[in-house]
Amino acid sequence: MAGVFSAVFGPVGRRLTYRRWTYLVLGATLIVPFTLAAVAIVPPVLRLLLPADTAEQPLVLAATMVLAIIAWAAGTSFIPAVRVVEGTAARELLGAGVPAQASARATNLEARWKTCQWFLVHILIGAVIGGFTLYVPIGLLQSFAAPFTGEWLVIDDTHVRVPTGWQSAWIPVVSVVATVVLVHVVNLAGVGLTRLSQVLLGPTPADHLAELKQRAERLAERNRLARELHDSVGHALSVVTIQASAAGRVLEKDPTFAQRALTAIEEAARDALADLDHVLGLLREDEPGTKPQHTLADLDELLGTMRLAGVNVETRITGDLPGLPFAVSTEAYRIVQECLTNALKHAGKVTVTLAVKAGHDALEVDAVNPLTGQARTGGGGRGIAGMRERATVLRGQINAGPQDGAWRVKARIPL
Amino acid sequence: MSVKVLLVDDEELIRAGLRAIIDAEPDLEVVGEAEDGTEVLPLVTRLAPDVVLMDVRMPVVDGIQATRHILDRVPAAPKIIVVTTFENDDYVYDALRAGANGFLLKRARPAEIVRAIRVVVAGDSLLFPEKIRLLAGRHGLEPGRSGLREAGLTDREAEVLRLMATGLSNVEISERLFVSVQTVKTHVGNVLSKLHARDRTQAVITAYESGFVTPG
Repeated sequence: MAGVFSAVFGPVGRRLTYRRWTYLVLGATLIVPFTLAAVAIVPPVLRLLLPADTAEQPLVLAATMVLAIIAWAAGTSFIPAVRVVEGTAARELLGAGVPAQASARATNLEARWKTCQWFLVHILIGAVIGGFTLYVPIGLLQSFAAPFTGEWLVIDDTHVRVPTGWQSAWIPVVSVVATVVLVHVVNLAGVGLTRLSQVLLGPTPADHLAELKQRAERLAERNRLARELHDSVGHALSVVTIQASAAGRVLEKDPTFAQRALTAIEEAARDALADLDHVLGLLREDEPGTKPQHTLADLDELLGTMRLAGVNVETRITGDLPGLPFAVSTEAYRIVQECLTNALKHAGKVTVTLAVKAGHDALEVDAVNPLTGQARTGGGGRGIAGMRERATVLRGQINAGPQDGAWRVKARIPL
Repeated sequence: MSVKVLLVDDEELIRAGLRAIIDAEPDLEVVGEAEDGTEVLPLVTRLAPDVVLMDVRMPVVDGIQATRHILDRVPAAPKIIVVTTFENDDYVYDALRAGANGFLLKRARPAEIVRAIRVVVAGDSLLFPEKIRLLAGRHGLEPGRSGLREAGLTDREAEVLRLMATGLSNVEISERLFVSVQTVKTHVGNVLSKLHARDRTQAVITAYESGFVTPG
């Protein structure tokens, strides 16, 4: 018995029901301006376009007005702020079932289109519920007086005439039932909208993809910094520690070694400071993702900088570079940058032959620079791990190594 | 008869420093150097070192692969100590699993470096047991941990294995268990053969990974 009672009257006492109701009534109020506009504009336009007797037909008039309302509302829903307002209200009023994505701006066409559907569903269901919300409570209030006064649903000049006395005793009963039914309808509409919000306001596949890409980029960036610290500062400090330990041990027996060790320590420490400076600079930069990332579109600028630094670059660029996916383009830019700075660092001022080819199924970067005697010992291949890791994120591969007296880096990223 | 050491590191300055530290000891001698894992195998065969100090990260063939090559192909393999810049380096644990006998930080003091070589050559205690415990803890247990039940260790052998994991030497274990050193050696030998372990390090890592000893 208690179960039946709570099933019937439970929603009446629940706060969430009224939050849902508010959201639905909000939909009803949103449709009002469109309705007013339709009432003002549709009849004169119809009279202009159609023969008078057709234009005056109520069915034609009503159908055209409904279509006009839907069209205007749909158009409006594509304004980005509409999505934010609708989504925020849905999250606040419909509860936790509405996805967090709902209040974010739509970033792609699919999301905009879904927002449009959401807006229409909201205002149309809202209009229906809003109408009942207007009449049912009034009907309920007046139902108790109706058997005595003989008038029911008195709104403005209209009213329904009912017989007085016991013959109208059904009116209060039906009104109470109708009110409870309305509460249930509101509740169910709220539940339905919440479910629908997951489909229409949730993240689209494109959003998921963008989110994944961003996460991968953040991760790659962090790994890159960690690796950079490991490779540069860690390496240098290891050299410093071991050389200093050794020098201390052999100071008297082998002063020449100690002297050389001091020089090595000085140089390693200086390199480490420079590297630390660089990494700290990267860390101090804005949040990764907010700063504009270089893509292959900035290649000319990079080549210009490298030429100023003394590296002559002979380029052969083929294919549709601007058409490349963003992630591929940024990674390819970094790979090229790494190749050129490595060439400068290890081979000095040489000529680098650089080929960038955007094919149908892959982007290929091929950089060749002559090996010179200037090449710094040690540290060989430390930047390559970074490039490889970056390419791997995009399922690509990198081969780097000496070939015919030159250093060659070949990267391939599938599209 | 001094202990012969082979140095493998891609950085010349590291090798030079290690060589100076090691050669300063009367009982230790650096017999050769290699720049990359690729050069290790022929040098090990030719020079027959007792210990290889091996950098974990090298450009072409890294320390893990080089360790595997040596253990796979050299019958009387030398002891291998992997050398690393950072403790929390996944490569270190991989190298230990691959069969390295211990690891050493590049920032270790000369006395520690020298002691590490001696400990590994003696082979009767674990090098840096505390750090191996931490590494094992970070890498988690292998799925389907068996607690070594199927290895069929006796209670005594299990106890010896637990003490090995704490880093006690054979002598210390014998004192702890009130038995002779020879008895401990027999137990250790049995543990190693039952766990198919090359040395104490392998046995202890197996013990951690099977959940037999908890690293936490």
